Amino acid sequence: MDWLVDLFVSAQGWIFDTLVQPLLFAAGMASYTEMGFDGVEFVLLGTIELSAAFVLLRPLETLWPAEKWAERGAVRVDVLYSLLNRLGVVPLAVFILLAPGFGELEGWLRFHNVIPHQLEDWLPALDYHPLASFLIYLVILDFAEYWRHRLSHTFHWWWALHGIHHSQRQMSFWTDSRNHLLDDLIAGVWFACLSLLIGVPPGHFLGLLIALRLVENLSHTNTRLRFGRVGERLIVGPLYHRWHHALDLPADPRFRYGCNFAILLPVWDMLFGTLYLQDDIPPTGIHEKTSAEIAARNDFWQQQKLGLKQFAKALFKRNDTQRSA
Amino acid sequence: MKPARLIGSVILACLAASSRAETALVLNSGDENISLIDTASYKETGRAPACKEPHHLMATPDDSSVIVACAISNELVFFDPRTGQEQKRVKNISDPYQLGFSPDKKWFVANSLRLDRVDLYKAADFSLVARVPAAKTPSHMAFDKASQYVFVTLQESDEILAIDLKTQQPVWKMSVGPTPAGIYMTPDDKYLLVAIMGADYVEVIDWRARKSVKKITTDKAAHNFLARGDGRHVFVSNRSMKGSISLVDTQTLSEVEQYDVPGGPDDMEIRADGKELWATARFARKVQVLDLQQKAVSRSIPVGRSPHGVFFLKHAARR
Repeated sequence: MDWLVDLFVSAQGWIFDTLVQPLLFAAGMASYTEMGFDGVEFVLLGTIELSAAFVLLRPLETLWPAEKWAERGAVRVDVLYSLLNRLGVVPLAVFILLAPGFGELEGWLRFHNVIPHQLEDWLPALDYHPLASFLIYLVILDFAEYWRHRLSHTFHWWWALHGIHHSQRQMSFWTDSRNHLLDDLIAGVWFACLSLLIGVPPGHFLGLLIALRLVENLSHTNTRLRFGRVGERLIVGPLYHRWHHALDLPADPRFRYGCNFAILLPVWDMLFGTLYLQDDIPPTGIHEKTSAEIAARNDFWQQQKLGLKQFAKALFKRNDTQRSA
Repeated sequence: MKPARLIGSVILACLAASSRAETALVLNSGDENISLIDTASYKETGRAPACKEPHHLMATPDDSSVIVACAISNELVFFDPRTGQEQKRVKNISDPYQLGFSPDKKWFVANSLRLDRVDLYKAADFSLVARVPAAKTPSHMAFDKASQYVFVTLQESDEILAIDLKTQQPVWKMSVGPTPAGIYMTPDDKYLLVAIMGADYVEVIDWRARKSVKKITTDKAAHNFLARGDGRHVFVSNRSMKGSISLVDTQTLSEVEQYDVPGGPDDMEIRADGKELWATARFARKVQVLDLQQKAVSRSIPVGRSPHGVFFLKHAARR
């Protein structure tokens, strides 16, 4: 195992020394050295995670597909989203946009003698049990993600952006990262606020992110794989999440805005009445209403443009972009 | 050999070994724990949970504890410097990054690099006296001998800031080279040495005149200082991947030696006999042990992610 760590650290060091550090020094940003080094780790782990997802999940899509496609052209745009996300472009942009504001806010709080409480202040034992701490933070983050996800289907303006994620009719493990950039930014704010509130340990951050990403890649996979009656209620799987992406939602008014919002643990859908389990495999996508929407289905820039346009429109005309049921 | 002499020799050998054996504490800032290393065998014997982002540490003036600053979890954690056992936690110390006691032991100062602030506490009970705005990114600190001032490097605004401890007010700032990090008061109390991380030199400041008087070229990313213990020389870590450590003469204000220490050498600790220098290698997850007689790295000890502070009790004098 040590050799693996050594190999990883050597690769991280080489990339940092060859590409990142010279750029930081040239830009007069030597103060960001540690952050740059951590950023390389983030990108390397993202690459490893995505490679692992490809090696493990792509065969499932070939051997036991939920849907058989004549060609995979529609998937290409999702590959682009995944690369932008995993290679750090989107997270870096989110960080650059958010970090100064949150720094200011925290600094202001300190000068008003406010030190936000963290989870360990209520549960001091967590300081001494890293695994328990990791699991508890994972559950809390997953709970928060359930509500972020559910609200992104509920608010018209938010759905205008999140609808891009659902417009894919050839859903594959790459679809996980297919998000409007503004939607990513909002998710970043959501996560940063929660982190500030409960004090997510930075050392856990990458592990938590990778755990969530792996399950998200799996749950978007185009496969008939299912976890059985109990398993489907323990962890979000491909069939479970496929119903979340169904072209036609279940008729029950409970599912007016969608079903199966959970990211990792189905327990949230069970608790909050949004669970829907069926054995049949539904087609995925949304019913586009305009030719512009259809044209944007597989085009990155069209999706970004359309998302912003509909987002602005939804702020004024509430029902125009609501999900078709 | 007679049995009595044999036994005596064995006891002497054991004593000699045990006099060298102790526990080194290394802060794994990316892992929220500390590595405990047996300094005789150079092996990691365990890891103790610490806190969120433990970056820097320092011993209390009476050496009864090592204080670890927890930048994200707003607390100080006290460890026994002999065993590495946790002693206590002091909460509500806001985002401490770098720590320091004033020479008169009245003040405990904590820099908040992340939130642009320097906090002044009473050293006796860690009660907060003042929060001093210090934009941007206050990093390392040094004191004058009279304990009148604390000098703080401001990494992102390329300045040093002087705070009067009596009034708890900032009194002056001056520009230095790009991204100043470590700062060190020369033993004669005359100059401040500032490690210029954005370049490859140590800037010498006549702090009373507030004037930059010399640049001592060391190596890329000059970062931090540690006194050799002879009242004259100081080590400077040059924190690049290739990495090196310079030895600077504080009287001639020149570099006298340089050693290759790869992996981003950062904080340092020196044996009491002055034969070995330990440095955390931030970018290699290792502690590098520099043999000062051979003038080369003799051992690399694997530790956790982003190792930063390092300490052992039997160290050379801090002068």
